[in-house]
Amino acid sequence: MTEERVDRLDKTIELLNKPLVKNTLVTVFSLGMFIGTWWAVAILANLTYLPTPPEVLDALIWSFQNPDPNLGTTMWQNIYASLQRFVLGFLLALIVAVPLGLAMGYSKLFDLVAKPVVELFRPIPPIAWVPFFIAVFLYFWGPVMVIFVGVLFPLLSNIYFGVKSVEPILLDAARTQGASRLQLFTKVVFPYTVPFLMTGIRIGMGIGWMCIVAAEMIGGVGGGIGMYIDLQARIGWYDNMFAGMIVIALLGISTTGIMQYFENATNRRMGIR
Amino acid sequence: MILEIKDLKKSFPKKKGEMVAIADFDLDVKEGEFVCILGPSGCGKTTILRIIAGLETQTRGKILLSGKEISGPGSDRGMVFQEFALFPWRTVRRNVEFGLELKGVSPEERRTRTQRYIDLVGLNGFEDYHPYQLSGGMKQRVGIARALANEPAILLMDEPFGALDAQTRNLMQKELLRIWSETKKTVIFITHSVDEAVFLADRIVVMTGRPSNIGQIYDLKWPRPRDRASTEFAALRKQILAQLESMVKIEE
Repeated sequence: MTEERVDRLDKTIELLNKPLVKNTLVTVFSLGMFIGTWWAVAILANLTYLPTPPEVLDALIWSFQNPDPNLGTTMWQNIYASLQRFVLGFLLALIVAVPLGLAMGYSKLFDLVAKPVVELFRPIPPIAWVPFFIAVFLYFWGPVMVIFVGVLFPLLSNIYFGVKSVEPILLDAARTQGASRLQLFTKVVFPYTVPFLMTGIRIGMGIGWMCIVAAEMIGGVGGGIGMYIDLQARIGWYDNMFAGMIVIALLGISTTGIMQYFENATNRRMGIR
Repeated sequence: MILEIKDLKKSFPKKKGEMVAIADFDLDVKEGEFVCILGPSGCGKTTILRIIAGLETQTRGKILLSGKEISGPGSDRGMVFQEFALFPWRTVRRNVEFGLELKGVSPEERRTRTQRYIDLVGLNGFEDYHPYQLSGGMKQRVGIARALANEPAILLMDEPFGALDAQTRNLMQKELLRIWSETKKTVIFITHSVDEAVFLADRIVVMTGRPSNIGQIYDLKWPRPRDRASTEFAALRKQILAQLESMVKIEE
């Protein structure tokens, strides 16, 4: 080998060892392995309900460009329908969970009063609420309410835990600085709880997607990705069904990713490394 | 007298009777005085300070600050904690101005008033740092600035340098004396280090074991800075150490 070639090889190895390049390569490799395996199994098994990756990709692209012949909506519209419910359900859960969690954490009396009811409802899987909520709140607000109950409890637990883990010495420090009980709450307890709230939101997001898909599937009317997936499976268009699942996966990854970013940013601002 | 502690008693209820932590504790502190309360661990010296701060209540007795009886915590007594107790989400400046913010002082005035104390403790240039970015010694500088920014009548320090390494500790003792001479604050300083007490105090109050009361008071009219290597420093250290040791023996 000439000097020059050795030098070039060195440079290539150096580039490959950079964390970002390395991680990207590994990710691409692992996804490639997965798709390759899927493809091979699909061809060898030759089952109607297991389409090949290119078929699913075609269906995915097609679903964004054209309205579905049975639903009359494009994938964009399905995403919009699900996302709208997701956001509304989430906001409702936040509006209830933040004050409730703070109050339960801060006031022993309030905790005693609220706890039995909260503990009674907590073990009910959110999906068990679907028939009731669809019957009462119909096809738009029904799934919204399912998300609401699904997200409520992880939010509530995290906020409650946040308030409970406020270091007593910080409260002592604030008291010696002349803080009133209200100021202890607004200046110490609340800021201390914010990172816990952010974690609750991130965990809630995963649960939220589960709830929305399940609620739309069981609901069966009113659009959304859950309904799309269910319908495609019923009529045997498995490539479309998988396309819908991929959309859910991508939505889940992006919302959790965005939330992770905000969580990290908050933690930095809150002085937690 | 800026602070008068009269017949202080603190006890905790037990199954049978009570556990007396502190009894018959009387102490008067003059304005501008530097008092160290020294004692074996578990002797209740921190409890005394917490009672003065209003964070705990006494079972009996009175504490007067500038002639007025104290009840509950207040910004007229500044406290510095061994664990620093800084608000991790606040920057140095926002930690120092915490008390003024509680009082509703305007942001501009807060800024000018806190800057003085930030400069005083030598943290100029670190105003926008978060506590996790600071060393232990710097954290405690923030703790001292925060306590002083409220302009309290008295500064209560609970083993403030206990969590620092030996070098930082010695440096911070010198820094504290400089800050003290510049602000002329009355200081009550809790420590279990005899060396620290002899280096800092105008008066050393040596506590006895449980139930705690005052074993002996040493008046030190020595000039500062004090020389740790001097014979009189070593002699006093030895004497107090022996006294503390004999108390621990009695305990056992």
